[in-house]
Amino acid sequence: MLHINSNKRRKGTAPSHTVHHCVRWGCLLLSLLLTTFNARSEDWSRQGTTSWMVGIGGVKQLDTYLSPLEYSGPQLSALRETQRNTHLANGRVSFQSLLQGALTYTENDPSTANDWGGHVNYDAGWHYNWQPATGLQLMAGGMIGTDIGFLYNDRNGNNPAQARLNVDVSASAAAVYHLRLRHRFIGLRYQINVPLAGCMFSPQYGQSYYEISQGNRDHNAVFAHPFNAFSCWQMLSVDIPLKRYTLRTGYLCDIHQSHVNHIRVHDYSHSFMIGIVRHFTLHTPPLRQEKR
Amino acid sequence: MMTHSIFTTKPVARRTWWCFLAAMFLLTTVSCVDEEGFDDTPEGNMEALWQLIDQHYCFLDYKAEAIGLNWDEIHATYRKRLNPKMSKMQLFEVLSEMLSELQDGHVNLYSSADVGRNWHWMEDYPKQLDHELREDYLGTDYRIAAGLKYRILEDNIAYVVYESFSDAIGEGNLDDVLYSLRLCDGLILDIRGNGGGLLTNAERLAARFTNEKRLVGYISHKTGRGHSDFSKPDAEYIEPSNRVRWQKPVVVLTNRECYSAANTFVRDVHNFPLVTTLGDQTGGGSGLPFHSELPNGWSVRFSACIMYDAEMNQIEFGIQPDIPCELNDDDIRQGRDTLIEAARQLLRNL
Repeated sequence: MLHINSNKRRKGTAPSHTVHHCVRWGCLLLSLLLTTFNARSEDWSRQGTTSWMVGIGGVKQLDTYLSPLEYSGPQLSALRETQRNTHLANGRVSFQSLLQGALTYTENDPSTANDWGGHVNYDAGWHYNWQPATGLQLMAGGMIGTDIGFLYNDRNGNNPAQARLNVDVSASAAAVYHLRLRHRFIGLRYQINVPLAGCMFSPQYGQSYYEISQGNRDHNAVFAHPFNAFSCWQMLSVDIPLKRYTLRTGYLCDIHQSHVNHIRVHDYSHSFMIGIVRHFTLHTPPLRQEKR
Repeated sequence: MMTHSIFTTKPVARRTWWCFLAAMFLLTTVSCVDEEGFDDTPEGNMEALWQLIDQHYCFLDYKAEAIGLNWDEIHATYRKRLNPKMSKMQLFEVLSEMLSELQDGHVNLYSSADVGRNWHWMEDYPKQLDHELREDYLGTDYRIAAGLKYRILEDNIAYVVYESFSDAIGEGNLDDVLYSLRLCDGLILDIRGNGGGLLTNAERLAARFTNEKRLVGYISHKTGRGHSDFSKPDAEYIEPSNRVRWQKPVVVLTNRECYSAANTFVRDVHNFPLVTTLGDQTGGGSGLPFHSELPNGWSVRFSACIMYDAEMNQIEFGIQPDIPCELNDDDIRQGRDTLIEAARQLLRNL
């Protein structure tokens, strides 16, 4: 392959450059895959955790497409989180996935109308890990995610509901501290995810869903960034080891905002979460390593 | 925690970490997205209502030309009628009157006790409809298919009554109705008194009366808060149904009570070759209505999107029939509906 490349380079044609770049990137990708494969073959352990949590809290919602009034009420939510280490960067990179769902039932201040809402979001990403001090672990990385949901107002006519759909790339950071308390390690964790860029759906200012259903498109896919759609997902949790499981409890703050097509939207939720954590090890290697 | 045992890396340069934290902090300084709120006072509710119409209502420019509407002047006029001690009903009366200046049947104010409205578009005109007479024509052995009532008159003319586009009609209903009437010489579709409903029902019915795709109008929505902020009008078509289609002459009976979706149906079919409209001008209502609300919780309905006809004419104040016809008192006394009889005569002669 290299020989072919060098010949084409001597000819100096534009296609030869393209081929050269393709081959070079292909080699790099192959090298990366081989490295990963090699790392996998030297697997020393791939530990991880999965947690299931449910939560209850409150939410404040505004969507000026439906109403200029803010609605508030209870929210039920569920969160499944998986976190495991990978072989990348000598094991300093960890993988995390978050699957979250929420249902809301809110009413306006005068108590004359209600909104029903729900959404499901899935985020997956990688963090680079540091350990600046004993017991303290810092993580920073990025995630990609998608969010699908709706908000339905029970007395509106041709604008009864609003769809929520977006795909984004987020910056993510977390800090974990292991506190020793009476022979037990209590894990304290704080994580924040902030979408930096993405694409979101929004009807135009006065556009009806009837028009959209008829094929009318008017700036409905919008580039989202922190200055027109600042959102923030934060969670503070405590892991308490019990006899067979680890109990996880915490506070989840989920903030969604957007101001596109002159439509203002916010969804501020605060929930108390509780659940269990399961520890696992993938392809447990110690026995095999000993045999080697 | 698994992370404690796994990541045994060297400490990172603190500077890098603090830079990252600073960037995250910068992002948190982005302001909250909120809406300007109004107090739940007579003044606050009136300002909220006035602003809602000012920023969202789609006919302000058109009605300034057509009926001399001056929305700023209306604000000043009605503002003077407020006082902090007025009752809820008094406030409702003032706000309803303010909205009635728009002369729009799609504009309403809803409280738990009343509905503010302006129905002069139909109340000021003869109905051109006698319900008892219509029942006489239907008789007692008429058929009912979802929202359609129908029978065959003595002269082999099909007579179909559709009283509301809110009453669902399925494709199967239309198949069965049109197939059972296939041997008739013509069809009278009586939509007098039909105040509208679902546009999809209107489109589904119209698609049975054309054999080719037809441009029927345009629709445009607001793109901003300015009175003239509109999207480029989007063409609307009726495509022929691929099921049973009517191939004989049709007369559609109309009156001033034909509003909203019924007005749109008339817009759709009045240029079809097989269709003739007969009766009185329709009531109009070409704005697709949205809902919103006031700080005190009252609901407001208003026109949000403009629907034009195929020549980009406004049809907010109605559509003229091809053949104007009025209900005659002598005919009523003789148990005859002038419009139905005129339609039968027309269909016999076609």
